[in-house]
Amino acid sequence: MESLYLLIPVALIFCVIAIRLLIWAIDSGQYDDLDKEAWRILADDESEGDQEPPRE
Amino acid sequence: MNQPELTRCFHCGEVVPNGTHFTAEIDGNTERLCCPGCQAVATLIAGSGLTTFYRQRTAYSERPESPREAPADEFSVYDDENLARGFCHDREDGSRDAQLLIGGITCAACTWLIETQLARLDGVIQVRVNLQQQRLDLHFDPAKLDLSEVFQRVSSLGYRPQPYRASALRDQFSAERKQSLRRVAVAGIGMMQVGMFGIALHAGDLQGISAEFQGLLRWVSLLVASFVVWYSARPFFESAWRHLRVGALVMDLPVSLAIGLAWLASVVATLSGHGQVYFDSVVMFTFFLLLGRFLEQQVRMRYGMSWFDLESTLPDSLLRWENEQWRRTVRTELAVGDRVMLLAGDVIGVDARVVSGHSLVREDSFNGEQQPRRVASGDMVYGGTLNVDQNIEATVLCDFAESRLATLQRSVSQAQDAKPRLATLADKISSWFVAAVLLVTLLTALSWWYLDPDRALWVALSVLVISCPCALALATPAALTSATNSLQGFGIIVRGENALESLAATTDLVFDKTGTLTRGELLVGEVHNLGRLSREELLALASGLQQFSNHPVAQAFANIEPVMGLQSATSETGAGIEATHGERSVRMGSLPFCRGLLPEMPEPPDAESYWVAVCDDRGPLGWIGLKDTIREEAPAVIDALRQRGLGIHLLTGDSSDAGPRLAQQLAITSVTASASPEQKMQEVQALQADGAIVTMVGDGLNDAPVLKVANASFAMPGATDLARSQADLVIANGDLWSIIRGLDKAQQCRRTIMQNFAWALSYNACGIPLAVLGFVPPWAAAIGMSLSSLLVVLNSLRLSRDGDGHHDREKRRSPNSLTPINKLAS
Repeated sequence: MESLYLLIPVALIFCVIAIRLLIWAIDSGQYDDLDKEAWRILADDESEGDQEPPRE
Repeated sequence: MNQPELTRCFHCGEVVPNGTHFTAEIDGNTERLCCPGCQAVATLIAGSGLTTFYRQRTAYSERPESPREAPADEFSVYDDENLARGFCHDREDGSRDAQLLIGGITCAACTWLIETQLARLDGVIQVRVNLQQQRLDLHFDPAKLDLSEVFQRVSSLGYRPQPYRASALRDQFSAERKQSLRRVAVAGIGMMQVGMFGIALHAGDLQGISAEFQGLLRWVSLLVASFVVWYSARPFFESAWRHLRVGALVMDLPVSLAIGLAWLASVVATLSGHGQVYFDSVVMFTFFLLLGRFLEQQVRMRYGMSWFDLESTLPDSLLRWENEQWRRTVRTELAVGDRVMLLAGDVIGVDARVVSGHSLVREDSFNGEQQPRRVASGDMVYGGTLNVDQNIEATVLCDFAESRLATLQRSVSQAQDAKPRLATLADKISSWFVAAVLLVTLLTALSWWYLDPDRALWVALSVLVISCPCALALATPAALTSATNSLQGFGIIVRGENALESLAATTDLVFDKTGTLTRGELLVGEVHNLGRLSREELLALASGLQQFSNHPVAQAFANIEPVMGLQSATSETGAGIEATHGERSVRMGSLPFCRGLLPEMPEPPDAESYWVAVCDDRGPLGWIGLKDTIREEAPAVIDALRQRGLGIHLLTGDSSDAGPRLAQQLAITSVTASASPEQKMQEVQALQADGAIVTMVGDGLNDAPVLKVANASFAMPGATDLARSQADLVIANGDLWSIIRGLDKAQQCRRTIMQNFAWALSYNACGIPLAVLGFVPPWAAAIGMSLSSLLVVLNSLRLSRDGDGHHDREKRRSPNSLTPINKLAS
């Protein structure tokens, strides 16, 4: 059970990383347009594989 | 009830007028189109190999304007550095970012179409369209690409591009949305963590756990939960406190108390090592509430264009007389007294006085009149109206802030303040519910304090958690989201706050005439032959003559194959057109104009239609009657509405007798003709003062204030951007049956909300007594709360069940097949 002393901090660090990542994604505008992204993945198109998120 | 089978335009979904033959080859099929505008766009899309657009779209496109004869240099002004600075900014490497607002985007496929088309331009580095904000973000190389080219491309696809200007409100919206998303994200991840520790702790309660590890898990939970409470739950505390200070009881108060007390009690338990911890409940509770609120916010902001600015409908540039020549100048740089040239076919950019030339201006945006007004030297023309006939010179009278258009915009914002807000069901229920919960909790705590002080806090907490208004808080947004999505599948865009709730309670419907009950455009009706020509020959001749005219009448003939061989055509403003056909001269226009060529031209048949005379130098050829035709479905829709016991009213700005006649045709008894926007507002407010809940259906610029003041409002597909932005619901498919569909769905939505409330309240009614008696531990209360919320969400999802045809590809090709007309009518 002593492994908890290691595993819990590791879990917390992952947690912090996940939150930072999400907040970065939100701030860079990746969640600005939820309707469209759901649709985009179904559209078979040639020209958009290389798109980066728009800057604000 | 049987409806005739109608052919719908493949591009925009409007009914294809009889006798027209506009087609385009799409994926090997010949598809029918309604007008040259749609044909041009569809041909362009097919020619660019982008027909995926038609397979993927979920709503019809908007009907584009007809292509102009000469592609004007209207967009070249955007190459001007001064103007570009307003919506572009340069990067260090010399490239440039531009933001454009795109009108006419109806679904996600539109954004794909624009992106794909623009990505092919040389010099475009990156392009992305934001569907929700209808905004185009373009990163490009200004050395290789002119902005005017971008505008031109977007416009040729049938959309309306304009510079996207920064707006404080718009930025605030976007910032708020990001903030709530961040809060949801933190609460969600926190919930997973604390939930994991929570399971270990609960398991420990059952099978035993050493004090050391229990302490460890509790401390870690405390850490995570405290962060979630501090970061994510903050808006609940802020809102509860803000309202409490002004003496209002809101749902946020018990929410804050439940979160705050549960957190505090768990902290005490962790520090002292006695009692239970409920960090998992605290965080879960926070997450579900935030999620519900985020969904509600999404619904409210969807298509929220309320920041729409009327000034942006004006052209950005005008021709000004400077240094002995006409130069294109940015509109905002014009000064009072400047001489400007107003071009035929363009929207007039300023309020001005005509100094030379004469023309016709179409002012239906202000007064709903279809017939243009004749202006000559000394007359006023107004910004936002259309110069239809000839170029005129005028002097600028005032800047935008003092213009008539700005006055209209101000009356819209006044209307917004005047709008009576129906208290939402949730508002009504929540205040007494909150009071009751607080009272019960207090009594419980006091009673247990006398009976068993140790348990008092925990029992009180259980009461708060089990009475958690989570299901109550979700009841409305879940149903609204679901109904909104379903309506979108039918081509009805819901964007107003509380629109569906107001719609469900509607007692009176007010219709505008032009463009709402009628098609809003003149079409050829009766034809009286007076000479040797057949009906077809006469119309072909008329169509040929009208090719030389800018008068609105000419549009009526745009779909008729013109006769060949007309020469030396001249048009006389406000009178008619003369040309030679073979060796004869022909005239078409008003009676006096034709009598100028042929004195024996007879009188028009009657006053029912707008009659245009045609004659040649030998004899009269005929009278062609033009009519703004009523929409086919209008009588049946009005009847259906009347059968529901709704009051029907007609309000029109048109001063002719067309309004009363239409009312008679549809058996509408309450009619007001030649009403100004202010009078329209007063009419609606008078109805509201009598206790009516008014739904307005309209389309024009002049309808905008009244759309805003009505409890709920529909904008028709041809509506001006201003009207669209003020309406709660936009009918994108051009079908009046959508009003009935909207009413039905709104009522269904209201019923669902009621069911949700009934469930949430009865759950509380059963749960609270048990909790008061101390039978429910807080963890069971938290599980019960989640299950009850889930039930509410599932019940709400039923609303979208019948409306969703998105999975069917065949249906997607023609979005209107989703709304079988005869099924609705039966």
